[in-house]
Amino acid sequence: MVNRVTAAGTEGAGGVRFRLPLYDLSRGEILLSLILWAVVGLFILYPLFFLILESFKIAGTDRFGIQNYLDFFRDSYYLKAFGNTMLLGILVLATTTLVGLPAAYILARYRIRGKTVFTALTLLPIVLPAYAGAFAFIVFFGKWGTMNLLLMEWGIIDEPINFIYGLQGLVFIQSLHLLPFIVLSLLAGFTNIDPSLEEAAEVEGAGGIRRFFTITLPLATPSYFAGAVLVFLWPFTDWLTPIILGQVDYLPSIAYINIAYHFTDVYRKYMGIVSVVVAAVICVGMFLTLRRWIERKKYTALSKGTALEGRTITPGPLARLIAYLYMGFISALVLIIPVVLGLSAFSRRWVFEPFPTYWTLENFEVIFFETPQLLMNSFRFSGIALIFGVTFGLAVAYLLTRTRAPGKNALDFISTILLVFPGIAIGVSFLLAFWKTIPIATHWIIMPLALFVRRTPYFLRMAHASYLQLDPSLEEASEISGAGKLRTFFSISLPLLLKGIFVGVIMFFIMAFQEISTAVFLYRGGWETLPIGIYLNWHRGMEFGIAAAMAFFMVVLVFVLLLIAARIGGGILNVAWGAGGRRE
Amino acid sequence: MSFIQIQNLLKRFGKVVAVDHIWLEIEKGEIITLLGPSGCGKTTTLRCIAGLERPDEGDVVIDGRPMFSKGFVPPAKRGIGMVFQNYAVWPHMRVFDNVAYGLKLARLPKKEIRKRVQKTLELVGLKGLENRYPTQLSGGQQQRVALARALTRNPKVLLLDEPLSNLDAKLREKMRFEIKSLVKRMGITAVYVTHDQAEAMVISDRVAVMNQGKIVQVGSAEEIYHRPATKFVADFIGVTNFISGRVAEVDADRAEAVLEADFGRVRCKVLVPESAIQGRQATAFVRPEDVEVRERSAGGENLFRGTVLHRVYLGNILYLFVKLGDTSLRVQARATMPYREDDEIHVYLDPYRTIIIQD
Repeated sequence: MVNRVTAAGTEGAGGVRFRLPLYDLSRGEILLSLILWAVVGLFILYPLFFLILESFKIAGTDRFGIQNYLDFFRDSYYLKAFGNTMLLGILVLATTTLVGLPAAYILARYRIRGKTVFTALTLLPIVLPAYAGAFAFIVFFGKWGTMNLLLMEWGIIDEPINFIYGLQGLVFIQSLHLLPFIVLSLLAGFTNIDPSLEEAAEVEGAGGIRRFFTITLPLATPSYFAGAVLVFLWPFTDWLTPIILGQVDYLPSIAYINIAYHFTDVYRKYMGIVSVVVAAVICVGMFLTLRRWIERKKYTALSKGTALEGRTITPGPLARLIAYLYMGFISALVLIIPVVLGLSAFSRRWVFEPFPTYWTLENFEVIFFETPQLLMNSFRFSGIALIFGVTFGLAVAYLLTRTRAPGKNALDFISTILLVFPGIAIGVSFLLAFWKTIPIATHWIIMPLALFVRRTPYFLRMAHASYLQLDPSLEEASEISGAGKLRTFFSISLPLLLKGIFVGVIMFFIMAFQEISTAVFLYRGGWETLPIGIYLNWHRGMEFGIAAAMAFFMVVLVFVLLLIAARIGGGILNVAWGAGGRRE
Repeated sequence: MSFIQIQNLLKRFGKVVAVDHIWLEIEKGEIITLLGPSGCGKTTTLRCIAGLERPDEGDVVIDGRPMFSKGFVPPAKRGIGMVFQNYAVWPHMRVFDNVAYGLKLARLPKKEIRKRVQKTLELVGLKGLENRYPTQLSGGQQQRVALARALTRNPKVLLLDEPLSNLDAKLREKMRFEIKSLVKRMGITAVYVTHDQAEAMVISDRVAVMNQGKIVQVGSAEEIYHRPATKFVADFIGVTNFISGRVAEVDADRAEAVLEADFGRVRCKVLVPESAIQGRQATAFVRPEDVEVRERSAGGENLFRGTVLHRVYLGNILYLFVKLGDTSLRVQARATMPYREDDEIHVYLDPYRTIIIQD
């Protein structure tokens, strides 16, 4: 057919035409894209830029250079801290893997009673704040804690054993906190395996153990690593647990102490900032490397995926007994947290006794009536952060799944990175960036803003997943019927997304409510949240009862919210996926 | 002027050219089918007509009004109704609200809405189900809801994107006739996308066969079946045998040629003179029903001896796969014929139905 000039403005035959990539977007979508980039630019990129800039500043001058980094890597103290953090990461990963592998296998394959309860308890620490666990274990396993006192009372030991003050305690406490990541990712790996793959191995003559090591485990590996990377990186972000246990020689803890206590000592300040940047670079680097590797290794696409769940087997009497004991042991360890916090919360002067003897409600009177400000702050800041998070998350999810907006992948990338980005890095960068040039840090709005940035991925991932599951033709049908994009969103998309994003809403709120790493750098008098209250009361004020009551309240709140989420979101596992750092 | 004109439409997705400069004119009241394998660009073309995709070049003109070049006309303003492959019935709304959605947006009075919804539901055979939720309906019923929703605003154009592919075979056949008679009764212009050639032939006045982003042939069902423009069309529509060989003779006056195949000389019809050039390689096609089984060889033109490779009995017909030299020919025989595998057989290729075709 001959070249006819058409209405679309062709410049005649063979004319190459340029068209802005924005052509596919409606005007509203361009505006939306710009607003989202402005938010990301102002609240993520700009502070980050400031943090990196500051780390290159040469003390006492206006010049920039790599002096701070040279100092950092020449100073044997910081190198040791770096090594310690690495070692801790490896030990925690090894422990969680060894303990998590049997647990995940039992939960994925064995048909046993009480599976739901075991699953829930094993996964519970993922939503409990790490410091709540640390406090509970100090009370229970500490030098004059319940465990030691009981053992001495029974005459098993004469001197108290040091269960937790030291590396062993850090490994123990962090492992229990991170076990859910490993169990969840292995559980996903095991249940996603097409049963026919294992059946084929069985037909070929591979016995149970051989089948597990040659078929099941390799197939679950990519999924395992998705969780493992989060576990390994945790010691690079958790500054609080080491400090609570009196261990400070770890990167994030040093960073916290240097920046929070020694801001006037220029050398220590810059070493603190460099520690933050180094930790952040390691987190992001490892996360990206592993993610790329996992993308290449995904096996799941190979199978047709006929069955929803993997194989399940009915264990024999001995295997069943072992399974019960094993899961019971893990569950008991997890249960120590709420039980001990509860005992402390409802008592006073619980020292040198295995169990409290003086019961009271005083602690709750303090947090509910004497200083309700903390509680109010927590609800207010988390609530406002939630509104930011939901608006931002839905908008990004829309842009990602429904448009061909240029740069949308970068937007997704930045938001995903936040998942492994140390809270301390966000806190410090906010502090640096919003102090002078853009002075938001003097207004309380900085608190919800920081919580929003820190917890963004928790809602965004759920919103993204829900949007992916929503058939676009449902929205297109609405547009053809005469509705605009905004109208379509509110009358079609939102009602249908509601169930899926609800879990995200709850997860975001829980995670924002318990946030301390970022908030601790930004709060001022009158802006204290519950987690900060716990930290101050316990660590500085030695008011164990009040701190425990706060932590206990938080555990109960989390528990209630989770029950609601599980009811609406279709089971505990679905909720856990939302928390477990997985992306469908 | 045609009611819908697709003018030089081009749509790229990244580097992939989904629709490659196509032209198509659709008359008012006509049902036209875009037919082709998956990935041929038929759905993208339909979505450009709907305004759900914006082409990189070219335009769609509906009822004299350009949809892209004089400013983008949003889907809602095009006077179209659309039925989606997966129905896209809104699960959180009752049947009534699904169908009434567009009318409510148009701010029609309540009474009028009720009347029109009732009428449309009656038309598609869903009377009495207004208050059901879609999850309480069967696949076929959901399909009808989608149809009703598309028709309720009295569209000038109805777009259907593989609307029957999720239904079971029996229901699919029934719905073909229903949709056709409904659309004809209402006098709507319809564009129907499918990969099922039987569906295309039943439902449409004309069929546009697409391949790799281009329209290869437009014509009635008879035309594309009996006079396919290219080898692709002949292969895609129905069942076909291909015979390749060298062109030994050309008789331009009678539009005939003789093809020298590996099993003998075949006299063929030539539709496009360029497809058969003396001395060159060429391909002819012949449908299984145009190959005749002869009792015994009397000798003569287009009569060949071969052996039966396979025998496929389908109740009403019998397919014999006959080996002629290196060529395997599918032959449609009467079900009562006694041939077994390895039997010797004589077949006659109808010279008017054995046609040399363009690659």
